[in-house]
Amino acid sequence: MTIKLTSVLVDNQDKALAFYTNVLGFVKKTEVPLGEHRWLTVVSPEERDGVELVLEPMGFAPAKVYQQALYEAGIPLTAFHVSDVQQEYERLLALGVQFSLKPTKMGPATLAVLDDTCGNNIQLVQV
Amino acid sequence: MTFYHTRVLEIAKAVYPNDDLCRRVIRSKHFIDHHFAHSINLHQMAGNAFLSKYHYIRVFKSMYGRTPHRYLIEVRIAGAKKLLQSGMPVTQACFSVGFGSVTSFTALFKKITGVTPQTCRRKALQEKQF
Repeated sequence: MTIKLTSVLVDNQDKALAFYTNVLGFVKKTEVPLGEHRWLTVVSPEERDGVELVLEPMGFAPAKVYQQALYEAGIPLTAFHVSDVQQEYERLLALGVQFSLKPTKMGPATLAVLDDTCGNNIQLVQV
Repeated sequence: MTFYHTRVLEIAKAVYPNDDLCRRVIRSKHFIDHHFAHSINLHQMAGNAFLSKYHYIRVFKSMYGRTPHRYLIEVRIAGAKKLLQSGMPVTQACFSVGFGSVTSFTALFKKITGVTPQTCRRKALQEKQF
């Protein structure tokens, strides 16, 4: 048994794909039509055969309640590892990304939290 | 300030109250990251943090969840994995990242990655053919 997938809940798959590729820099891996929605995944260009991130549409209403509760509390839905949070923060600021937490040290880690425009806070982590 | 931001600051203050100590251990981690391919020892790693060896091991483990020696092994294995995936022979990769013995390198590689160095290299070369 292996871990090959993780997911983020998104309110719009097209908007999510644009943000996660054009802004964050991931690349599309798989796209399969499944009726109203798609099986849609992206991967890091640094690990193209690594874990796939599913851009998961919220067809189940309670998922929206959960997403909104996390978002309003500033809690990240997930986190991505970067080699330099400050550098990534400046790059993304220049692209118009909003941050609820600027680069902040927490012991050995530096964190920042951004808005993915699809209903989520996403954490960037440097260790 | 969001609820999460408040919690991050609370945890940082409670768990990592000594900023100077954190900075010194982070500095020693960077030393490992940049010199892993050389023959470095605990004395040098602890020296970078200006700590006694025993205190250094305790603080490093509390911050990174593993001992400095274990971290050094992991960094070396990660380096070896990249070299093997580029096609470098196993023995050459082993010595390139600072291991002194192919036997112990192979055992550690398998333990950490789940596959032998030979398998890692072979899979990467096979994928390149497609």
